[in-house]
Order: sequence, then structure tokens, then C-alpha cells
Amino acid sequence: MTEIWLGLFSGIAFGIVVQRAGATNGDEMARAHLMLDGRIPRFMVSAVALAALGLVGLQAVGVGRTMVLPTSLVATGVGGVIFGVGWGLSGYCPGTCWAAAGEGRLDAVFALLGGLAGAAAFAQWHEVLVPALYLPTNLGPITLARWTGSPVAAAAALAAVFGAAGWVMGRAWGSD
Amino acid sequence: MATRRSPYWSWSASAFALAGIVVFIFATFGPPASSSGFVTTLKGLLAPVAPEYVASKAHYRAMPGPGSWLMTFVLGMAIGGFLAGLTSRSPVRDVPEIWERRFGPGRAKRYLATFVGGFLLLFGARLAGGCTLGLFISGSTQLAVSGLYFGAVIFTVAMLTARIVYGRALEEGDR
Repeated sequence: MTEIWLGLFSGIAFGIVVQRAGATNGDEMARAHLMLDGRIPRFMVSAVALAALGLVGLQAVGVGRTMVLPTSLVATGVGGVIFGVGWGLSGYCPGTCWAAAGEGRLDAVFALLGGLAGAAAFAQWHEVLVPALYLPTNLGPITLARWTGSPVAAAAALAAVFGAAGWVMGRAWGSD
Repeated sequence: MATRRSPYWSWSASAFALAGIVVFIFATFGPPASSSGFVTTLKGLLAPVAPEYVASKAHYRAMPGPGSWLMTFVLGMAIGGFLAGLTSRSPVRDVPEIWERRFGPGRAKRYLATFVGGFLLLFGARLAGGCTLGLFISGSTQLAVSGLYFGAVIFTVAMLTARIVYGRALEEGDR
């Protein structure tokens, strides 16, 4: 029962922030994809950098739950290509389209309906697609800590690289 | 660059706010996700009318039904968008300006494009195992190779797609 209220609270907070970040606005998202404005990409990579450091803190005090999804060379890559076409075409993500629909953008309602259709289609063909594309090149739930040895060092390196990537995008495309 | 008076927060304020929420979700639930919420929604819609179909499909068996964090999270996201929209100076448009410059003000074309786009988003996300939040943000925060790999692919492909979609509007001097 608590989970339901935590989900609702987290969702409301998340929806407010993505709207205030401009991520529910198809115009802002298109300008980001066209490298005319670096504000949204810089926001995204910086949020990941900060959250990675925050998660190190949580793990240090033994709070929370993590779950690393596996890397499948083919399925993660092909899924990403299909997803990227949808993102570039619509300007929405599976999360932002809920917030944009709530904001009153009718094109987001159609993205949401298309999303339900796409999820239903995948669920229908899961039994064929997962053995064909996901399982053969599944490398398991690997993380950067595999190469650095320590998760804290890996998180620091990731935060530094993402912070620098955000700075470069902000300088090159503008982020005011 | 700071000539447009923006109704939006700066990248840094947005990033601190989002990271705080993501860490809160890790602490109170686990890795945040939103594309899974579509499967949960479908499960809730289909289970009453086609219970045998839902029970026979691995993808629905793998996801919780509507009485779950995933369901209230996506519904909350819509409520949050509504509340933020009410109090925002940003105009709400059904067709983005840049789309209008490229394809005209017709709504049908835009709605068809976002429907097809939404279909691709969720089909791709379910194949990869997550979306911008559930795989890229959640995964990269946990240093997962899957999240970093997915993030690199989606940014690259979305940028190329946007070039193809908006090419002519760009030439007409957007900036």
C-alpha cells in the first residue's frame, strides 16, 4: 500500500520537474536533437552524474535497492535504434509523454496511445523476439565496476565524464 | 544565446531536482522506470476482457498489474505535468512551432507522427529492456553498461532522425 503512495508522490514530483525542464515541449526537444540548444541534453547527463554520486552515498549507508539490467548487444542496440527514431520523430519519451499529456498537449496523447500499441505488439511477439534477438548476445548485468574494480571509483569517473560531456554540449550548442 | 526569455528552469536547477528525485526513488522503491508502466497499464486494461491471453504471455507475466508503484508513478507523472502546466508561463501547443514551420499547422499529420513515434518508442524500449528513464538514467546511475550503450544509441539515432525530419525547417534559418 505504501508503495502505491510512494509511486504517486515520485511520479508527481518527476512530472513537475520534466515540465519545468522543458522536456515535455516538442519544440525544445527538437531544438536539442538538432544541436540548436544544449540545455536539455546537459540537464539529462548532469542529472545522471549527480544521481550516480547520490547512489554511492545511499549504498554507503546501506539504503535502497538496485537492479542492473543486462546488456544484450543486439537487442539493446536494435531496441535503441527503433527507440531513437521514435524519439527524434515525436520529441517524446515514454515518461515525458505522460507529463505532456497531463499538461494538455494533444500530440502527446497520441504518442501515449501509440506507445500502448507498441508495447502490446512487443508483448504479443515477446516469445519470438527475445530468444531471437535478446538471449544470444546477452552479456549479463555488467557494470563499469567490472573494469575499475571499485564502484566508487567508477561512479566518480562516470560523474566526471558526464559532467564534462554536459559542459561541452552546453558550450557548443548553448545552454542558457 | 541568452536572448530568448525562457519559461523553463536552467539546466543546473533541473538536473539537481531530477537527481534528487531519482535518488529518492532508489531509496524508497528501486530503479525508476516508465516504459514498464505501459505494460502495467495494458495488463490492467486487458486482464478483465482477456484473462487467458494475459496469463499466456511472458511479457505480461513479468510485470505487476495496476495496483503497483509502476502504475501510480506514470499516473503521477501525468498529474505532475498537469500541475506544472497550470502554473507555467510556457504556452501549451498541440503542434510544436518547429513542426508547424516544416509541415504546416495540420493536426492530423502531427498526431499520426506522434502515434507512430510512440509505437516505435515503446516497441524499442520493451526490446531493449527499458527507456530513457528505466534504462539510460537508471542504468547509467548504477554504472550499467546496458544504460550507457542504450543512451549512446538513442541520442545518436534521435539526432539523425531529427535532421531528416526537420531538414528544411533548419535551412530556413531556425536559430
